[in-house]
Amino acid sequence: MLARVANNLFWMGRYIERAEHVARYLNVNYFSSLDAPNEKSQSRDHVLHSLLFMANGPVEEGYELTEKNAFYDIGLNPEESFSVLNCIKYARENANGARDLISTELYESINKFYHFVLNYDADFFVSKGLFDFTTQIAESTSIIRAKIRGTLLHDEVYAIIMLGVNIERATQIVRIIQAKYYDALKAQGGYDKKFSKSYEWTTLLKCIEAYDMMRRHYKKTPTSLSTLEFLILNPECPRSVMNSLVQVKNHINVLNEDKYPEKDSAAFLIGKTHAEYRYKTVDTIEGNIEHFIEEIQDTLIDIANKIEKEYFKY
Amino acid sequence: MATTQQSIFASYDKDPKFYDEIFDEKGNVKKVYQTLFDLYSGHSSQDFAKLNDKAKASFFNQGITFQVYTDQEAKEKIFPFDLFPRIIDQKEWDTIERGVLQRSKALNHFIWDIYHDKKIIKQGIVPLDLITSSANYLHQMIGVDPPGGIYNHISGTDLIKHSDGKYYVLEDNIRCPSGVSYVICNRTALKRALFGVFNHYNAHTVTDYAQNLLEIMESVKPRGVDEPNCVVITPGVYNSAYYEHSYLAKSMGVELVEGRDLFVENDFVYMQTIKGPERVDVIYRRIDDAFLDPLEFRPDSALGVPGLFSAYKKGNVCLVNAPGTGFADDKAVYTYMPEIIKYYLGEEPILNNVHTYHCSRPDELKYVLENVDKLVIKPVDEAGGYGISIGNRLTQEEIEKVKKTIQASPRKYIAQPIMSLSVHATYIEESESFESRHVDLRTFCLQGADKDFVLKGGLTRVALKKGNLIVNSSQGGGSKDTWVLKK
Repeated sequence: MLARVANNLFWMGRYIERAEHVARYLNVNYFSSLDAPNEKSQSRDHVLHSLLFMANGPVEEGYELTEKNAFYDIGLNPEESFSVLNCIKYARENANGARDLISTELYESINKFYHFVLNYDADFFVSKGLFDFTTQIAESTSIIRAKIRGTLLHDEVYAIIMLGVNIERATQIVRIIQAKYYDALKAQGGYDKKFSKSYEWTTLLKCIEAYDMMRRHYKKTPTSLSTLEFLILNPECPRSVMNSLVQVKNHINVLNEDKYPEKDSAAFLIGKTHAEYRYKTVDTIEGNIEHFIEEIQDTLIDIANKIEKEYFKY
Repeated sequence: MATTQQSIFASYDKDPKFYDEIFDEKGNVKKVYQTLFDLYSGHSSQDFAKLNDKAKASFFNQGITFQVYTDQEAKEKIFPFDLFPRIIDQKEWDTIERGVLQRSKALNHFIWDIYHDKKIIKQGIVPLDLITSSANYLHQMIGVDPPGGIYNHISGTDLIKHSDGKYYVLEDNIRCPSGVSYVICNRTALKRALFGVFNHYNAHTVTDYAQNLLEIMESVKPRGVDEPNCVVITPGVYNSAYYEHSYLAKSMGVELVEGRDLFVENDFVYMQTIKGPERVDVIYRRIDDAFLDPLEFRPDSALGVPGLFSAYKKGNVCLVNAPGTGFADDKAVYTYMPEIIKYYLGEEPILNNVHTYHCSRPDELKYVLENVDKLVIKPVDEAGGYGISIGNRLTQEEIEKVKKTIQASPRKYIAQPIMSLSVHATYIEESESFESRHVDLRTFCLQGADKDFVLKGGLTRVALKKGNLIVNSSQGGGSKDTWVLKK
């Protein structure tokens, strides 16, 4: 496979995954805040800050924080590189560059998705269409993932796309944890006044669509400890950081078959990170969440850079 | 049924000046179209409006589109696809197939001769200045022996049916003829949209093109290579034919590369893969000669590969088609095609040439200047239907202007009698009915070291504007699925 096209496939995977997380966070966080048990969690500013933080970063000073502005910028603003619209646009551009390698069916699903987002009525979206739009994004990305899994050869092409998908997934999950961690710090109280029992942990789980399975696993109301354990370290939770690392490790092995990869290779760093998380316990994270977030974000960037250097040079 | 039949063909204009592919002189449906006509008549105009929308959506969703740039934004458009297929019976097709293959072979001999012994010029059959004055003649190709001895592996010959009911060759395209992907898309779209129509006819498949193209490419592999690594090279995603490039690569299962993916080392060509450099042996290039290699041709080319031509000259890589074929599909050389065929093959031409006046010859120039209103004036080296003047459409003022342009550089122009392209039933959105429109036919012929192949089918291009004779997609033309019937 061409190095340039591999780069296209990697980013196609990343942008599709990113679009889904941004849209889902927009949907779940907004709607679950409407009847949150404490005033802070219900406040519009609090929610809009959280939405913008997750999609782009801290809200700049002087930004006119209205629902319409925030929704438009995150969803459909062609001028904002972080908007869902642009994620899909970049995903399609990357798919175009690899069009001869992917299946007709996969390309068609991405192309249809792009036109759906491009032609979505912005006025309707910011006034009434939030649920409809974000739900459609989630459905379309599911279809695309099914086409990736079901219509491509599970060879290097698939491995590269899935590396992109899983590195992005881990990145977005950490991002969501970070956003909700700040929300929990700000909005202590509710059922219980303590940070560790904040309502925001429930929202966090819902934002990752992991709430039901978390209840099934722990059979208790989520706390900071159990939520973080589930979302970071549980390899069975399909969107956990650990699960993404397992997948990344499996897929890099398709590209690098060395039993003992060289020390500065992507495969080595991935193996090392995987081993570290395999034997991590949540108490080392819970006491120092900010440090954990920073560290894992740096590691994920390192991994992506190493993959790029090793495989995408042309 | 009679009333619906009337309604969808109600605005069909039967003009005796043109050869009608569907109706005979008495206005009756021709035998070969009868079944199709009966099936279509069972549908209402609303049905066709719906089918037309569905077919359009199918092309759009598959991303079979091209970009149109307006002031504010780039818009994606589909190539218009017509719901009424063209049918060519076995006997008629047999002539076409033998005819285009004959031309393709004769052209290959001609190019070889011109870049080697120039016998045809020495014997005074084709004038030298016709060749050397062509911008597409490459002195770099003199004495170069392409692998397998093939120059024009892929030829696209354009045919029309004149009012006398005979096929005439309009031109041969042997640089990078495009359009074959639409032949295949049109077939898919028609089969899907008009459920239960296709199975009433026994037509040849068109999906075997890619397999044959790959075999042709493999047949011209460089010496010493067992299993050649074939690729398609494209200018990139913004090229208007990018869909076709990606389609061809995908359907052959080979890599679609850009110039920046390739490099040349010690006169061998390599591509950058995720596992390092990999040798490339045969390149189907969809980049014009001038852009192939900045070291040899245009130095500002960012699309090509430095050193590619040198690797080619050494015989370490094969380019499909060869560089420098463009002088031979020039409209001025076209007029010598009957002589070229006779000279190299010792055969009479199977397909007719349109009579051509060379403005470079004083007596013919005189005739052209006196009869502009009866002629089509064409620049010899423009593609895509640009720069063409159709005499009977011009005002007196415009005629004077054309005369001046010709006089300024006679070598640049040829003139031909106004050929009347045949008409075919074509779905027109505005009237929601079938109307008569002019059509031509692009055929696709492949030539390798040990085999050749003519695609049984082709791209029937249709001028969607009423009365228009220019069918090129860049000028608002559409296309039809084309069925070649089995015996």
